[in-house]
Amino acid sequence: MKSYLLKRLLYSLLTLWLVSLFIFAIARILPGDPVQGVLMASHMGIADNNLIEGLRAKFGIDQPLPIQYLVWVKNFIIGDFGVSIASGEKVFEMFMKRLPVTLELFMGSAIWSMLIGFSCGIISAVRRNSFLDHLLTVGAVLGLSIPVFWEGIVLIYLLSVMTHILPPSGYVPFTESITGNLLAMAMPTFIMGTQGAGLIARYVRSSLLSVLGQDFIRTAYAKGLSERQVLIRHALKPAMIPVTTVAGLTFGYVTAGSFIVEYMFAIPGLGRMGVNAIFANDFPVIQATLFIVAINILAVNFLVDVLYGYLDPRVKVRS
Amino acid sequence: MNKRNGLSRALKSTGIAICYAIIGLIFLSYGLSYGEAWAEAKPEAKQGFMEWGEKYCPEKPVSGGYLRVASPYYIGSMNPNHFPVMDWVTMSYMYEKLIILDGNYKPTIPWLAESWQFIDETTVLMKLRKGVLFHDGSSFSAKSLKYQMEWIMDEENYAWTRSWLEPLQAVELVDEYTVRWRFKRPWGSFLGTLASVPGFMISSQALEKDAAQKKSERITHELIPLRRKAKAEQDLVKAAQLHKEIEGLEEQQKKYQALAQDGKPLDTSPVGTGPYMLEAASTDNYLTLKRNPDWWFGKSIGKPEMPYFDGIRVSIIPDPSVRLANLKAGEIDSIVLNPIQYRQVKDDSKLTVSTFPVNFLVYMIFNHAKGPCSDIRVRKAISHAIDREALVMGTQQGLGRIASCMYPDDHWAHNPELKPVSYDPELSKKLLAEAGFANGLTLKGFVINTPEAQAFTKAQMAMLEKVGITWKPMFLSITGMIEPFKKLDFDLLGSMYPFIQEPDHIATLLYDPKSPFNNGRSSNSKAIELIKSGREITREESRRKTYFELEKTLCDNYEDVWLFWPTAVLASSKNLTGLNLEMYKSYGEGYHFSHPQWFKDGRP
Repeated sequence: MKSYLLKRLLYSLLTLWLVSLFIFAIARILPGDPVQGVLMASHMGIADNNLIEGLRAKFGIDQPLPIQYLVWVKNFIIGDFGVSIASGEKVFEMFMKRLPVTLELFMGSAIWSMLIGFSCGIISAVRRNSFLDHLLTVGAVLGLSIPVFWEGIVLIYLLSVMTHILPPSGYVPFTESITGNLLAMAMPTFIMGTQGAGLIARYVRSSLLSVLGQDFIRTAYAKGLSERQVLIRHALKPAMIPVTTVAGLTFGYVTAGSFIVEYMFAIPGLGRMGVNAIFANDFPVIQATLFIVAINILAVNFLVDVLYGYLDPRVKVRS
Repeated sequence: MNKRNGLSRALKSTGIAICYAIIGLIFLSYGLSYGEAWAEAKPEAKQGFMEWGEKYCPEKPVSGGYLRVASPYYIGSMNPNHFPVMDWVTMSYMYEKLIILDGNYKPTIPWLAESWQFIDETTVLMKLRKGVLFHDGSSFSAKSLKYQMEWIMDEENYAWTRSWLEPLQAVELVDEYTVRWRFKRPWGSFLGTLASVPGFMISSQALEKDAAQKKSERITHELIPLRRKAKAEQDLVKAAQLHKEIEGLEEQQKKYQALAQDGKPLDTSPVGTGPYMLEAASTDNYLTLKRNPDWWFGKSIGKPEMPYFDGIRVSIIPDPSVRLANLKAGEIDSIVLNPIQYRQVKDDSKLTVSTFPVNFLVYMIFNHAKGPCSDIRVRKAISHAIDREALVMGTQQGLGRIASCMYPDDHWAHNPELKPVSYDPELSKKLLAEAGFANGLTLKGFVINTPEAQAFTKAQMAMLEKVGITWKPMFLSITGMIEPFKKLDFDLLGSMYPFIQEPDHIATLLYDPKSPFNNGRSSNSKAIELIKSGREITREESRRKTYFELEKTLCDNYEDVWLFWPTAVLASSKNLTGLNLEMYKSYGEGYHFSHPQWFKDGRP
């Protein structure tokens, strides 16, 4: 098991390195000189060489590209994400201010994903080929294929404009009003959650169906256990093994979706910060946001691998 | 500067105040020219818009509640003299100008300036309103005005409005509330300039600290390469010189740091005299402003309960559809919509929907310095290839007025004899063939990367394609545009000019070769002469004729492709009242600044 985990960790680090190179390159490819952007805003584009040089040094772009890359990685490791070109704020501070908002969004969407995905998947598998199964299958496919922004507009219209149940957008901090916070986050988390829920439901259904066809399930029924007992005690755990991987992958979709959902619902989180940074060519923020997203996805995938080993003893044996 | 979306409040602050009849009265009473007619101005006695009875609104104003509005962005740049100016929605509640504009964009209404008198063509004596306080408690006075003008003129402060004050020689203090303006030469656009961005009064106390802070930051940046050079310098004499320079800068920095102590950046903590002042800001979420209990205007007319709202909440909502959903759901009270959204609200019984012309210009810029567009035949071909009527119908729901040149059709400087360029694709093809592009022409360019601009640009691309012009614009951020602008790496651009007020400003910014905003490098010698004259002439009729001539000159040379002047769609909750649209259209800024709205139910 140890060597299995070590191997996964090495793969993750290798991927992270490649991703870091990719992100560094993307931030440099964006059209426009960031220093000229700063000068345009603060000095109407007029500046002497000392100031231009000073600003280049401040943003670390006065060095050759390989050095810039190494400095960026080194600083990132010690928690120095640089300074935002647009606002002059420290990126780490900007990040920390917005992290709780995005974490809440992720947690909320994960709850919706699991809740909807597992229950629909289980019902579909248990009531295989029934009308309910077909209905839930259509629902799952819709959840998977409907673009986030479209779903957002439709739900805003239904739940806010027509029925006034939920606010159409905005964010209320939990510390300010618990009800306000839950109401404001209900729709965005649901929309992000349904993306993952569709995928989870499909996998739970097929995985559970394959497990329910196995001999040990027949034996369990033969022992006189009820359908519910068979399902909970014997079928669910083995059926969860492939689903765990999918749930991990879903995190990636959700992360990407958060850029759109935060922008659309005017939520002041990391995704919105990333979108604003792209529009403003604010490369320190772009780099930090993308890299943190990449780290999160890799960390979740690594956790999934660890969990896989726990759920499926064959993995341990093979490793 | 982005445009329609983000400028709901500021749109309201454009135009309005004295009607022509009143101007006529002023003329009669003084029997003099336009310049001299400005000599004395006292609003209470002469302003037709100073009406609060039945004509204005039959209901009695009710105080209370927070007005909820929305803005697509908040970039934390709330000193109006700092570029880019994108936070107008919030700023327009907090700052006030010395002079405001009437319904024809003439700077005739005294606001923070009480009256002015032209002593001669280069000297103006101006009396300021007494008892006006900035939000930080400091007094608005001759000293604060002088400090602000000198701050703008100081090139170390990099105010984007500095070039507008170029004719100004000095602001002299006469007494606590009187200043004497001295010009280098006659200055026709003087009052128009004070009715524009430089005229927004900022607390000198806050401005001084902010300027010191910015200068200190700049020294920090400048010291980095100097220290490096000093460290690497082998020659002892040169190294000593560098060290001396560093010490000098460090001394200066200490001085600025001491000055900046306890100061807050003006960009995020604006200090004006307006009816509302900053209460709280949550990044990318909202800003709240609270009522200014010391607002001078209400008190000066015996209505101390003005402004009526307890405060304003500006929600930052980037998506236009979500902004509209918020209005429909009752989460916000008033917004300016995209014309494309007009159909979705016009029959909504819960909303009051109004449309009114705005002083913006949507246009295309040619590269005059190099490439095919330096040939007038190509410029003409492009101009005739655009079906402006279809563009307004297709992209603006028909809301917009086809432009014949740059000044809007309700602006006093607009030449009414000019007709919009006709849609004539056959003529375009002929002209292209004459210019040597019979087999087609490919043009490069760029446009801002907003969804609205993209939709609009695609329609223009299709129209140009019909005559054999393939326009391949890139969609870029403002920062992304800086480099291609500098390198002149384009043939044709899509653009928009907001808030056309003083005619000299747009003319100078777009067509003066020295302007940093003359992106097309236009260099029309006759136009340059006319711009110079327009800036200097003080008599109204001569100025008007000069601008008529300027527009004609620009049109004859197909200097740009003027497309249309947009129409704004204002949608508000029925609970919001106190806006008399007819008076608003007639008196522009004069009405808007003096007639705050309120909630019918005074929402607690």
